[in-house]
Amino acid sequence: MSAYQTGLIIQVCITIITVVAVFAMTGLAGMFSLGQAAYMAVGAYITFVLYRELDISYFLTGILAILISVFLAWLIGAPTLKLRRDFFALLTVGFSQMVVAVILLFEKYTNGSIGFSKIPRADGLLWVSLLMTALIIFWIRNLKYSRFGRMCIALKNDEVAARSFGIDVYKLKLKIYILASAIAAFAGILMALRNRVITPDSFGWASSAEMQIFLFFGGTNSLTGAILSATVLKMIPEFLRGINLFGTSLQEYRTIIYCIMIIIVINFRPQGILGEVELTTKWIRKLFSRSKDKAVQKSENYE
Amino acid sequence: MVSQLIVNGISIGAVYALIAVGFAIVFSIMRFSNFAHGGMISACAFIGFYFQRAFDPAPPFYITILFTAVCGMAIAILIDTLGYSRIRKKKSPGIYYFLMSLTFAILIEQILTVFYGTNMYGYPKVFQNETFMIGDLRFKIMNLVILGVSVAMLIALILLINKTKVGLAIRAVAINAEAGKLMGINSGMIVTLIFVIAGILAGVSGVFLGVQYSVYPAVGSIMMVKGFIASVIGGLGSLSGAIFAALALGLIEIFLTYFLGARETTVIMFAIMLAFLFLRPQGISGKITEDKV
Repeated sequence: MSAYQTGLIIQVCITIITVVAVFAMTGLAGMFSLGQAAYMAVGAYITFVLYRELDISYFLTGILAILISVFLAWLIGAPTLKLRRDFFALLTVGFSQMVVAVILLFEKYTNGSIGFSKIPRADGLLWVSLLMTALIIFWIRNLKYSRFGRMCIALKNDEVAARSFGIDVYKLKLKIYILASAIAAFAGILMALRNRVITPDSFGWASSAEMQIFLFFGGTNSLTGAILSATVLKMIPEFLRGINLFGTSLQEYRTIIYCIMIIIVINFRPQGILGEVELTTKWIRKLFSRSKDKAVQKSENYE
Repeated sequence: MVSQLIVNGISIGAVYALIAVGFAIVFSIMRFSNFAHGGMISACAFIGFYFQRAFDPAPPFYITILFTAVCGMAIAILIDTLGYSRIRKKKSPGIYYFLMSLTFAILIEQILTVFYGTNMYGYPKVFQNETFMIGDLRFKIMNLVILGVSVAMLIALILLINKTKVGLAIRAVAINAEAGKLMGINSGMIVTLIFVIAGILAGVSGVFLGVQYSVYPAVGSIMMVKGFIASVIGGLGSLSGAIFAALALGLIEIFLTYFLGARETTVIMFAIMLAFLFLRPQGISGKITEDKV
């Protein structure tokens, strides 16, 4: 495999991880955050700046970075999750701007807007990211079908009703927000290892919004949809690279294309492309077995 | 120096108040946070910039403001027809409105970025640098113009909402759209009117931001967060609270920027908002909208 293909696969893996984390939060619990890219920035910057400054293994600093983003998620979530959902969504925008401001503030360590590039080369990143993507998908899938996931779905559909059934809405929201933020921080570390340079611009609220757009495109209620749309939408710009429009490559227009697609999807199919459909083992088994024919034969025998 | 900072602070606070009110008025009727407001501000800032440059002797400033306000109105109506009208007809949950407004915000910002890059454009000099003295104090005329126009617009808006029949209808729809319909209010019209008002506010604030700072595609989204902070501190959905909070925020920001620096200010402002949500989530006005069953 060429380096380009490997890089592309790792990038798709990172996108899937972030979108799956957003699925846990928005798809299951109905919380709308625009600060997930900021947690990626926290993960990436803390891991590698500390690695540079303290000269210890980046596994250790990576774990520390994830712990710090857990703490930050608690700090942001604790006051706001008691309030209306809008407060939370907008506060996360402010949070992502604040993280960028902090990165610029510590210019001495982070190299400011030029970008931090002293990131070590990692071997076997492809296999690590594939494995972690599979693990995280499996984890979130189990979460969806567990008691926790059902509580989240109840909360998403009607918060007041969920509370009246004895669900501690506030605690649940806080838990899922912390979970999603920790996963985002991990994705940030992977992204830093892949690109080997991180700039504050790439973690603005627009990239968080991109994750939400991917999720809504596939369907908020479907994990399969989220994964599929993350893969497909991330690949599309690569095919548009060669095409020119008004003298610039069509790749420059990718966000515009995403936006127009999502406007069409919300207007005409608000539940997303896949709606509630999930790809399950049952579905695959149905595809391969001829149970239908057998059933028909059986009913004929009874006659 | 201090009194000069106060004048600057109030004048920038007045622009924040325009943004915060445009934000709060949509929230109070539609119960969603209209992110597209930031996109409209950016678009209007660029429209004003090109309008000002298109004619050789630059047109008088009030004509630019009027033209941009009309354009803001047109953009708002366009967004309403393309984005919100179908969702409204289907009575979809609020999260779709939110996502739609977000999409439009990014769409406008990206279109501007593709065509103009992320460069900053400076407005042609109108009378930014002309100053006059009262006693020992030096005032920029631009600041006073901004302050005057903003205050006039805010007063006109408050009179419209509190004193006219249309305003009564707006307040009725804000309390309960369905009951308003039963009382013979054309609530679809009211919603469009609200977007028109928001568009006008976005247009005017876009021009002012362009004149005060410079024009770049992300100007709207950055300023909108400030307008949002103001409307949270003021109590979401309350217009007068938003105005007071915006003025206070402008003052705090000017002083912090002068004594500490611009980057530190962003962080401190966010901390102020977080602390405010901790201590008094209902905002200054004490009005909070609760979800009902």
